[in-house]
Parts: sequence; structure tokens; C-alpha cells
Amino acid sequence: MAVPKRKQSRANTSARRSQWKAAPVHLVKSVENGRTVYSLPHRAKVVEDSAGTPLYLEYKGRKVADV
Amino acid sequence: MPKPTKGPRLGGGPAHERLLLANLAAALFTHKSIQTTETKAKRLRPLAERLITFAKRGDLHARRRVLSVITDKGVVHELFTVIAPQVAEREGGYTRIVKTGYRKGDNAPMAVIELVLEPVTKKPASSKKSAARAETKVEKPKPAAEKAEEAADEAAEDAVESIEVELPAEEAPAEEAAVEEAAVEDAPVEDEAPAEDAEKE
Repeated sequence: MAVPKRKQSRANTSARRSQWKAAPVHLVKSVENGRTVYSLPHRAKVVEDSAGTPLYLEYKGRKVADV
Repeated sequence: MPKPTKGPRLGGGPAHERLLLANLAAALFTHKSIQTTETKAKRLRPLAERLITFAKRGDLHARRRVLSVITDKGVVHELFTVIAPQVAEREGGYTRIVKTGYRKGDNAPMAVIELVLEPVTKKPASSKKSAARAETKVEKPKPAAEKAEEAADEAAEDAVESIEVELPAEEAPAEEAAVEEAAVEDAPVEDEAPAEDAEKE
């Protein structure tokens, strides 16, 4: 088993850790029934009825799959 | 010809990938629409479209080549007799992939791949192409139109001349003979000019 020869400095540790960043999710903004909705681009959306129950997945006006 | 895929095979190795994709293709042709992961759907698309191309060819050799991938004769029969006539008018692009979100459990991106069985609706050519075509069309008729205009002008001039010639002829019957000759000479020219127009148009 490999064994470290020297103690790693706090500077090296924090320099490594500072590179781990979260990237923002790219969303598209659209207005549906007067509400602004953010959603992932190029992805089928869930169509809901008035009570909020999911009905089916829709993409470009075509029913794609059941939920 | 589909572009060979780079990177690792699906499943455990090349043979596993072949079997996986063959089974996916068979499932696609039986159910017309299947849900898998995005990666598998994208790998399946070229294979499935190639098989449909074979099915559209429809001869025994094509059928045997399809049978070397999909071993189920029932599925191949349906592909050749049901699916192939439905996409006969379509020039490629027999499948459609729609991304549908992430799978519960491993968060894998999922997609629905389905056969495009709707009748083909030719959409109008894109603006760039139509513009290019319009330019070529405009360029060609322009010279012809100019020629036609020139010819028309000449004809009009001839007509004016003949009228000018005829008018004095009525006034002076003595000169009739000479004038008539002139009119006769002019007349064929008039006839020829419209004929040329017609040819050019």
C-alpha cells in the first residue's frame, strides 16, 4: 500500500477543494396559462389536468408517453 | 451508412451489445414505441433505420440480412409486411427520439424511441433554399424578358410605321401600289415578331 511521505498542506487541500463547483442548470422560460414556467430544454413535459394530476408526457404538441 | 460509434460498447462486450441492440430493435418493431435510456435509444436509431431500409427493399436477400440481426421470424414478417409499406414514401428518418426525464432509482436519462408512421407531409423548402431557387429562376427569365421587350418594341415601331404608311395611302390613292407593297413588306415582319415572342416566352 502506498504511504504518503509528507503531510499535505492546508493550502493544497483547500486549492483542490475549491475546484469542486456546482454548475447552474440551464432552463428555458415559457408562459403557460398566464404562469411563468421554467423547464429543461428539449425534454417532454408532463401535462396535468385542472386538479394537478399528471396525465401524460407531451412534446411539441404530441403525446409521447404515459406517466 | 451509420457512423460507427466511438467509446465503450453497451453491456459487457461487443457480442452483448449486438444482442442488446437486436432485442431493442425487435421490441421497437413489435410495439412501435419503446422507452429506454437515452444512450441506448441513440445507439438503436441507426440500426433500426437500416433494418427498415432493408424491409423497404423487400427481397429475399434483404429479408435474410434482417434475419441475421433479428432472429424472430414473426417480427421480421411484421416489419416487411406492415411497417415497410407505411414508410414507403418516407426518405429516411424512420424513428423519433423524445427525451422524457430521469429514471427513478439511478437517475438515468430516459427517452422514448418510436417509429414515425404518419403519412409524409412535404414541408415547404427552407427560406435559404427557396431564395437560392428564386434567384436562379429570376436570372434565367430576365434575359428572355428583355429580348421579348425589345422584340415587342420593334414590332410596335413596325406597326407605327405601317400605320403611318397606310394613312397617307388612304388619302392618296395614286400611291396605293407602292404603299401596299410597303405594307406587305411590313406585315410579315409583324407576324414574325410576335412569333419570336411566343418562342422566347
